[in-house]
Amino acid sequence: MSALDFGSGLFPNAGAVLGAWYDFRDLNNLSRLITEWIADWGPDWLASIVTGLLGSLGILAVIGPTLLVLIWVERKVIARFQQRYGPNRVGPKGLLQPVADAIKLILKEQLAPRAADKLIFFLPPVLIFVPGVLIWGVLPFGPRMSVADLNVGVLFLLAVSGTGVLVLFMAGWSSNNKYALFGAMRAIAMSISYEVPMVLALLTLVIFSGTMSVNGIVEWQQQEDVIFILLFPLSAIAFFFAASAELNRTPADISEAESEIVAGYHTEYSGMRFGLFYAVELGNTLVISAFIATFFLGGWWLWGLDQWVPSWIILLAKTGAVYFLLIWTRGTLPRLRIDQLMGFCWKALVPATLIFVAIAAVERTLLVTEGWDTTVALPIMALINIALTLGAIMLFARVARPARLRRPARTTLVRDRVGGLAAAREIAAQGGQPSHVGGGD
Amino acid sequence: MSSFGFHLAFWLLAAMTVGGASMIIVSRNLIHAVIYLVISMLGVAGLYLTLSADFIAVVQVLIYVGAISVLMLFAIMLTPRVERDNSETSLKLPAAVVMILILTATVFVALDTDWGAVRQAALADQARLIGQSLIREYVLPFEIGAVLLTAALVGAIALARRDDEDAAIHAQSLQAEAEGTADDVALLTDPPLVEVDVAPTSATGSTGSTSEDGG
Repeated sequence: MSALDFGSGLFPNAGAVLGAWYDFRDLNNLSRLITEWIADWGPDWLASIVTGLLGSLGILAVIGPTLLVLIWVERKVIARFQQRYGPNRVGPKGLLQPVADAIKLILKEQLAPRAADKLIFFLPPVLIFVPGVLIWGVLPFGPRMSVADLNVGVLFLLAVSGTGVLVLFMAGWSSNNKYALFGAMRAIAMSISYEVPMVLALLTLVIFSGTMSVNGIVEWQQQEDVIFILLFPLSAIAFFFAASAELNRTPADISEAESEIVAGYHTEYSGMRFGLFYAVELGNTLVISAFIATFFLGGWWLWGLDQWVPSWIILLAKTGAVYFLLIWTRGTLPRLRIDQLMGFCWKALVPATLIFVAIAAVERTLLVTEGWDTTVALPIMALINIALTLGAIMLFARVARPARLRRPARTTLVRDRVGGLAAAREIAAQGGQPSHVGGGD
Repeated sequence: MSSFGFHLAFWLLAAMTVGGASMIIVSRNLIHAVIYLVISMLGVAGLYLTLSADFIAVVQVLIYVGAISVLMLFAIMLTPRVERDNSETSLKLPAAVVMILILTATVFVALDTDWGAVRQAALADQARLIGQSLIREYVLPFEIGAVLLTAALVGAIALARRDDEDAAIHAQSLQAEAEGTADDVALLTDPPLVEVDVAPTSATGSTGSTSEDGG
């Protein structure tokens, strides 16, 4: 089965995960122990409530401290990329800098614009947490270790991350600030566009592995002894870029581009309200890194090593690697314009991922319906797909020149047909003072 | 199915759905109305979950909460001066008549249906079943829907694009590419996206004039 199985002979009990609660290779044991203990004397609903609370509180207890460290890591790594020292004053190596920042944010006065839509203005910093926490629910930390192993887990991930955009819109619109509204518009436009390659990239995996459960996808990779980044590298690249666009990270952070629109949708949020947006953004980055590691790098599984090392440590290691890659792109690439981002999404990523959906369907048919031998067919398919991916990247770099991507035809809608400009003329005709018309992008 | 938790969930979700729906009608602010609509749709998704239809529930959130409501917000934002009030309309009476008819039909169907047929074990692996029936039994309606959506997409693009400008831009970019300066030229000669004369004297109220183009 796997390369590390030979060790089972040397160390007794090394290969098999024990059922005892102290075997931390499977944290599920602890949860099962508590459930069984409650079931002995208490009603069923108490057991389910307690396990539910354990799962969600456990996730929150992991995210909170991790975020504090991650802020430090991100600032330190970015500083290294820019040949600076980064935070190094508060605490050893500047490790307590995030704590100092958090205290500062909590103590700051929380302002609200007088013309803001009060109810909608106060909700987003709280609501933004809901998708940010829910999304952790389907992440498998081990063979049976996820809060809810839904059989539509992939769809759940997409649906929950899609609702976050609505909250960003509420924040931007209710601030009654044009920069906030621009930021919200950009966030929505980007999210709607980049959801398409994201869905298509995941669709290749779903078609190929024949399951929509996140854990099922990992188990498929374990069973076939292959990770999906080798089989569908283009899907991995597309998902990586689409995710960094949905997360508003630097190559695609135009919805909060400080050189253009102050701070985007959270311009008017001060103190801890801003802090919550910032924390959720970092938390989402972490969880998307974990999902990239799960979908494309095998998640908790690593060619048999998961029988020796706790599976959740393997997942965290992979997550850290992907997270570093995200910081790397952020430190390396400049910010793109919105038309460049849209052009890249619709003219490059969507067709490429769509083609790979078709390829995945054909290969799945060959494997399942035609009954090809997976040990022979999978490496060949991987080679073909890697070659196709390299070809697609070359095609994009050489033939579809970036100059073509950055020349979108302006729509009549934005320019002069309906909407803002017609309204502006009307106001001007009535003798009003349109302070700011159109402008920007 | 008859446990206390199930009933509690049902009544909470029903209150959420109906309450959200009534707030849409009452709300004068269109953005607020869309947000109440989202609450109502989330309630419906929860009701699907209590029926063990998890695929439909997730798709409800994905499409209605994540996409349709965002589309509505976009439409509201791009329409001038409607975003802050839900203005009077002369279509009140027809709308009321149509809604009463639809409501009557729905109630009639609901009362007429044999709901006992639904009380079965939850279907396992619904996504697979739905996918198979879409591809096998109902492939024709599925394809017709796909063609209809594609036609709508093409129609929207055809409405929004403008041939003369496309041709000009294409010629410009080809020329720039021939000169080998495509990247620089793209940045330097791009006309400003919006250039409009907002002086009150020139405001004639006419739309569609091309004289205001910067390019």
